[in-house]
Amino acid sequence: MKNIRTKNSIDLSVEIAGIKMKNPVLAASGTFGYGTEYLPLVPPGLFGAVITKTITLLPRAGNKPPRVYETPGGMLNSIGLANVGAEKFLKEKLPELLSHHPVVIVNIAGNTMEEYVELAGMLKGRPGISGIELNISCPNVKQGGVAFGSDPIQAAKLTTLAKKAADKPLIVKLSPNVADIAAIARAVEQAGADAISLINTLYGMAIDIDKQRPVLGNITGGLSGPAVKPVALYNVFKASRAVKVPVIGLGGIMSSDDAVEFMLAGASAVQIGTASFVDPSAVKEITGGLKDYCLKKGYSKVSQITGKLAV
Amino acid sequence: MMLEQKVKITSHQKIAPQVFLMAYASPQMAAQARPGQFVHLKPSGPGPLLLRRPFSINRVKGSNLFIMYRVVGRGTSLISSLPKGTEMDVLGPLGKGFEISRKYSEHVILAGGMGLAPMQFLADRLKAMKLESRIFYGCAGKKEMLPCPAPGKIIATDDGSCGYKGFVTDAFLTCIDKFKKPVVYACGPWPMLKRTAMICRQHNIDCQVSLEAFMACGVGACQGCVVKGVKEYVTVCRQGPVFDSREIDWEQEFGL
Ligand SMILES: Cc1cc2nc3c(=O)[nH]c(=O)nc-3n(C[C@H](O)[C@H](O)[C@H](O)COP(=O)(O)OP(=O)(O)OC[C@H]3O[C@@H](n4cnc5c(N)ncnc54)[C@H](O)[C@@H]3O)c2cc1C
Ligand SMILES: Cc1cc2nc3c(=O)[nH]c(=O)nc-3n(C[C@H](O)[C@H](O)[C@H](O)COP(=O)(O)O)c2cc1C
Ligand code: FES
Repeated sequence: MKNIRTKNSIDLSVEIAGIKMKNPVLAASGTFGYGTEYLPLVPPGLFGAVITKTITLLPRAGNKPPRVYETPGGMLNSIGLANVGAEKFLKEKLPELLSHHPVVIVNIAGNTMEEYVELAGMLKGRPGISGIELNISCPNVKQGGVAFGSDPIQAAKLTTLAKKAADKPLIVKLSPNVADIAAIARAVEQAGADAISLINTLYGMAIDIDKQRPVLGNITGGLSGPAVKPVALYNVFKASRAVKVPVIGLGGIMSSDDAVEFMLAGASAVQIGTASFVDPSAVKEITGGLKDYCLKKGYSKVSQITGKLAV
Repeated sequence: MMLEQKVKITSHQKIAPQVFLMAYASPQMAAQARPGQFVHLKPSGPGPLLLRRPFSINRVKGSNLFIMYRVVGRGTSLISSLPKGTEMDVLGPLGKGFEISRKYSEHVILAGGMGLAPMQFLADRLKAMKLESRIFYGCAGKKEMLPCPAPGKIIATDDGSCGYKGFVTDAFLTCIDKFKKPVVYACGPWPMLKRTAMICRQHNIDCQVSLEAFMACGVGACQGCVVKGVKEYVTVCRQGPVFDSREIDWEQEFGL
């Protein structure tokens, strides 16, 4: 008898840096809050994993408003890592997050290397946290953030220290605001990163011509959404050829076709950010579409898409 | 409980220069909506708009929700061109609405310009609850005046072309002593809200203001829509858009 594949028989599960996920679509940091804000609209468990808003050692108020603005094909944000701080996160936010979402990855950032290390240490031994994403790529803060992510030596040093302090798989999130993404990717891989994710937002700005002033309170911001997709895809393509660890791709993914492009370019999983603002249930369409694509191409597992690009 | 739905425009018309009144049908949203809450919407499908746009619920009639909006930019101008029957993606009802309490003897509404948008719904609700209410509505001039079917309303125009000449806050101030135990609900531009908050503070009157901010998610997930509260930043979409005026830091430099 011929083995007929059906949509239900497609295996969407992936394993990245030892983290098992039921599908390769993750909620990107900073766009899914603390995992509860969307609950009335998005039933829990649709995402392969939820990545938290960046957590810092001390609470951060964030930047002066206005903080978001729409530009053609994209959006600018200058949130500035507003968050409740590690202590309150662990006490108040994490338990609820874990009660709804099976796989939680905590994204962290610090002003100094020591702060990153201290934070990674605070997450040690916490049951339920499946991994850590190191944010060395935020364009909206003066210290830390992208400063560590744009220099291979600093990025490697920070990765080594964080890896030592952490007891969980370490994903390093890279910035596209660099001259050579492959060099950074290689540097963090050699320093012990278990996976890399990219891209964070691109530097951008918008001007109010009536007031002759920048629109954003912070003057500049980070660009995300469909407008950044070609740049993100290029970075994923470059980086995934430079390293052996899995690459998680993101930047402007709005549909399952977009997700397939990232996987073909070398991504083992994808994250969606801005898409959730536009359509909170985008994750549903994307996982469904990935299954359709597998069916059409005769794959039984979604992981078979990864790196299939013919060049 | 917020919903994400595809809805159809049931009516859409121009009611003043650059101002439109749109209705769409959603029995579930109509049943849940409270005055002061808003909806986050965009035309369905791919198009030039990326993010949704927030609009106050102007009125609820049967299963129809009404939106009254002014064309100010790319999004509102696109939305204004959508004919009846067009499908839209709507998230709503969102945010915290006005708190209506029977402990006040008079419910005073101050609306400046487009700030009238959420007030019709509030006035309807107050009336249904048999509470004494009074609308003060201010606009630039007679030409810009929006339809405001409320008996006993007091109109103020900046140019004096109709009603009281001056700001709506000044019109309110002239008769502030007539109210016994009032509460004030205000919506309008930042300087008007600030002035309202100051007047109410001086006269020890409870005051609720409806604020605006650029939004991305509309549900409290992105921290994009904040304004400064007296203690910390507060999200307009989730902790607001209606706030007790004492919770807001009026000295912040603000203005969209
Ligand atoms: C909770 C809430 C309720 C609202 N209710 C109404 C309503 O009932 N009726 C109505 O006409 N408007 C309302 N607004 C404002 C409305 O959302 C904006 O006018 C609209 O989003 C502008 O979109 P746009 O694409 O046309 O403008 P854009 O092209 O994005 O911007 C053009 C200009 O519009 C102004 N603008 C943009 N966004 C906002 C905003 N959120 N608030 C104020 N000004 C803005 C700015 O001056 C900007 O320079 C509300 C806003 C909020 C936050
Ligand atoms: C409003 C907003 C807030 C963000 N906050 C964070 C953050 O706290 N930490 C982080 O690593 N990335 C943050 N990002 C970046 C996103 O995680 C993602 O890298 C970027 O938006 C590109 O993906 P997208 O085009 O799918 O949104 C934020 C993005 C947006 C739009
Ligand atoms: S718009 Fe995202 S928090 Fe308010």
